Amino acid sequence: MLKVIARTANLAKTPLSRSLPAFSTCGARLSSSADPTSRREAPKLENETVLTLPEEAHQKNALESNITVPTKVDLTPVSGVPEEHIKTRRVRIYQPAKNAMQSGTNNIHHWEMEFDTRQRWENPLMGWTSTGDPLSNMKVQFSSPDEAIEHCEKNGWTWYLDVPKTEKPLKPKSYGINFSWNRRTRVSTK
Amino acid sequence: MSIGKILALDKVATFFNIIRQNGGIRASLYKLYRQDELKDGVLVGEDKYGNKYYENPRFFYGRNRWVEYSDNYNMNYDGSQIPAEWFGWMHYKTDLPPHQDPSRPHYKWMSDFTENLSGTTGQYTPYSTTRPKVEAWVPKPKTSQ
Amino acid sequence: MLRQPLTRAIALSSPSRVAPLGARRYADAVPAQPEKVEVFIDDKPVYVPPGTTVLQAAAQVGVEIPRFCYHERLAVAGNCRMCLVEVEKSPKPVAACAMPVMKGMRVKTDSDLTKKAREGVMEFLLVNHPLDCPICDQGGECDLQDQSMAFGSDKSRFTDIHFSGKRAVEDKDVGPLIKTIMTRCIHCTRCIRFASEVAGVDDFGTTGRGSDMQVGTYVEKMFLSELSGNIIDLCPVGALTSKPYSFAARPWETRRIDSVDVLDPLGSNIVVTTRTNEVLRILPRTNEEINEEWLSDKSRFACDGLKRQRLVTPMLADSRGNLTPVEWEDAIVAAARAIQDCPPDKLLAVAGDLADAESLVALKDLVNRLGSENVYTERDFPLEGSGTDLRSSYLLNTKIANVEDADFVLLIGTNVRFEAPLLNARIRKAFIHKETDVAVIGPKIDLTYDYLHVGDSASVVKDLATGSSSHEVLKRLDAAKRPIVILGADQLKTQEGSALLAYTQELALRLQDKLQDKNWKVLNVLQRSAGAVAALDLGYRPGVATALAAQPRVVFLLGADGGVVTREQLPKDAFVIYQGHHGDVGASIADVVFAGAAYTEKRATYVNAEGRAQQTLPAVSPPGRARDDWKIIRALSEVVGERLPYNNLDEVRDRLGQISPALVSYGEVQDNNYFAQARALSKSLQKPVSGTLDVQLKQLEDFFMTDPISRASPTMAKCVQAVIKQKSSVY
Repeated sequence: MLKVIARTANLAKTPLSRSLPAFSTCGARLSSSADPTSRREAPKLENETVLTLPEEAHQKNALESNITVPTKVDLTPVSGVPEEHIKTRRVRIYQPAKNAMQSGTNNIHHWEMEFDTRQRWENPLMGWTSTGDPLSNMKVQFSSPDEAIEHCEKNGWTWYLDVPKTEKPLKPKSYGINFSWNRRTRVSTK
Repeated sequence: MSIGKILALDKVATFFNIIRQNGGIRASLYKLYRQDELKDGVLVGEDKYGNKYYENPRFFYGRNRWVEYSDNYNMNYDGSQIPAEWFGWMHYKTDLPPHQDPSRPHYKWMSDFTENLSGTTGQYTPYSTTRPKVEAWVPKPKTSQ
Repeated sequence: MLRQPLTRAIALSSPSRVAPLGARRYADAVPAQPEKVEVFIDDKPVYVPPGTTVLQAAAQVGVEIPRFCYHERLAVAGNCRMCLVEVEKSPKPVAACAMPVMKGMRVKTDSDLTKKAREGVMEFLLVNHPLDCPICDQGGECDLQDQSMAFGSDKSRFTDIHFSGKRAVEDKDVGPLIKTIMTRCIHCTRCIRFASEVAGVDDFGTTGRGSDMQVGTYVEKMFLSELSGNIIDLCPVGALTSKPYSFAARPWETRRIDSVDVLDPLGSNIVVTTRTNEVLRILPRTNEEINEEWLSDKSRFACDGLKRQRLVTPMLADSRGNLTPVEWEDAIVAAARAIQDCPPDKLLAVAGDLADAESLVALKDLVNRLGSENVYTERDFPLEGSGTDLRSSYLLNTKIANVEDADFVLLIGTNVRFEAPLLNARIRKAFIHKETDVAVIGPKIDLTYDYLHVGDSASVVKDLATGSSSHEVLKRLDAAKRPIVILGADQLKTQEGSALLAYTQELALRLQDKLQDKNWKVLNVLQRSAGAVAALDLGYRPGVATALAAQPRVVFLLGADGGVVTREQLPKDAFVIYQGHHGDVGASIADVVFAGAAYTEKRATYVNAEGRAQQTLPAVSPPGRARDDWKIIRALSEVVGERLPYNNLDEVRDRLGQISPALVSYGEVQDNNYFAQARALSKSLQKPVSGTLDVQLKQLEDFFMTDPISRASPTMAKCVQAVIKQKSSVY
């Protein structure tokens, strides 16, 4: 079932009026909200909109508006990805780990997906790593795990979330405990 | 034009001449089998591996110098068996064969000529000088058993 | 210092923020949270508990204040000044890491004053910092590099260094793991604080003042700690870098694979850095529930053992008994023939320390299909009582993260420091920050913190369990609100093991029954190896000695390198199949060797000591002809004629899930129950015990080489030598 969301203002959204914004002094969309007394000119009607039959207008509307598809989208028949790279692949969705060597965290606030490693070998010529897997270097970034999951499901990949616990409860730190005389936190070396 | 030429008798004479020079019918057939051609020519020289070098200006340029490989090679002869000193003469770089050319240097340190050994057991095999990334375990050989 | 005027206090509209999950866990045990205060970070309001520092409050709203000396897991030092921020109504910029928030404080982390302050600090730091980034190992992952790009100035006003030169400091020798280039040091003192707080080895410190200040060990001394590698991570500049990894690669040219460590029972999360199909280094990956962000030296530096002594091709003993490399087909056919000729009751499979769950289940299924039940683990565990049927009797039930919340820790016959270094770090954290006390039954060892030594005889456990002891510890245990008891699994291999376990269960459950917090688990058994829990979960039986007494004809060793199975114990004509990745004890007695993959080369499941299943991911391909372990067994099963019903990894994992869902619920750990039943079953085993408890790993030099991978590692060998040499030094 296709659910069609009709737009309210069909006049201003026709391609013609959108391509000629300079010529319309007052759009039909604006006219509804603005105070009619402040208008200097009557809203222009385009010939095309006047002449179209209601069913034609409806058809045109349907073609231009967004369509939401409630059923599951499956891109696999059209994506052209070979079946062996759809059915047998396993995608890991994760947040990139913080580099232990650095304190900055600016580059890890997103989610990534990567495929399972396969067919990687050492090239005997230069000792570099070769691969026969077209998806081996594909890392796609997402802003949330849900997006990543949706993307994987669209493409028919099995996915799993890998989320180690990295958050810890906020415990107020104190400079003073370095010097508290009766606690074990007292520092001996400096 | 002599009658002999018209009747191609000189070709016949050449034919017999070639057979004779190559040591009779039996030897000629063997040479023909081995080298796919039979030619007559002047023996210009022989190198130390036993290859014999011939010349006959009757043949056109490019085919008038040739080598008969030493019988040691049997059917396994190839162009790389011509030593470096004869290479120049064979390729018309010089008209003086090595034994008649006084300007050729001879030093003690010059190494002996080697043929191309590709495809034989003596061939060069490239090898890596880098250490292997993974060292394999070598089991201890059992001594008592 | 100017305080915030109270008139600015804004009426708090009762902040109804949900406490973080971790805080809620033991909410009933913790006193009610005091009222939160509202502060404004860049005009964004945030509610934090009083006493929180400005830097922490900023982190709550996602504002990261630059820092060098501040580290979340270390004490506040406040000496780098990089975190200076402007606070409204304050005449000077304040150090965000040490300044507690005050009601209505307005912090500006991006104002002109803040920027100027940062730029100034950066300028000071760079006065004496060498510009050797191109030859510095930290290049590309250096905090100083990053922050000077982000907050620094393009020029310096300190032109006098053009004439006087930069400060130069002599390099220190702190052992074979850490390379020091002390000229690069910016005196953040993170390494000093780590050494004294987390590692518990108070060797680092500063000498001199001003521009003569130096960080060092006072006297030339090795940094004798099992956690020493972490100071490489902590160092924000390139002053402390990894010796084995020096000049090996740049961070941007490597591939990082998130994986799990298997060299100790905790299953620390790691990042394996690879290039050109080679494991270059291993770094810790943050997981609050296991390793926080630390990693033990063995897990971190033993990775070069993955390139030595490897089995790269299957091998078969020739007519003279010498192992010779053969094709897979020949090796598998030879093994299959031996297995087919063997009566089922004479077939024995032994699993070693590093075996993963997939190969364990494949091997067990194969052996069972052949009609044998003889699948054993190398490590011993008492089978009497509940044995290995109840998970609670062989796991770390308290869970690693909760050890921090304990208020009394009793260690029985275990050297936690070397058997599970990061668990020891947790205990030390509790010791320092929560005033937790520790008591030890067993030999006197250095655990890096003070403890009550109760004795080293097993009868002490009996006395504590029965309540007949007059020792102070019994009173302390009874008074404790959240006590834990950790029993080393090594103690269970003796004859008295079952009684010792029974008494420990009795003691722990007697304590547990009295607790107010009904969710708190007291009993813990610390396994020694990464493969132990999975093997026991899958139904491998401990105690291979009894099986060896039955004179097996064919022995399948799955990575069994513990030296438990020897040629002398086996009949003369016994056929030994070894499958594993290193040529060690097991391979040297084998007739057929199957080359398997190490933990960085396969996707495999390991269950850690608390029962948490985690998976490793393949970082490099197995060397030579080595193959995934479960695939080898699957191939063997086909030749033997008992085809195992799984063809890919998912199907193997389905099989694992059939046996125990806990084995495939990755990252999660389930609560164990049936403590009472285990206790009831073990009642009859409470026999008198008389032995003394001893631990295998006593000194630091024992720690480094305990498994085939670390035994093959040259770095670990160097560590052992360095520690022994340090022992003979006067310092």
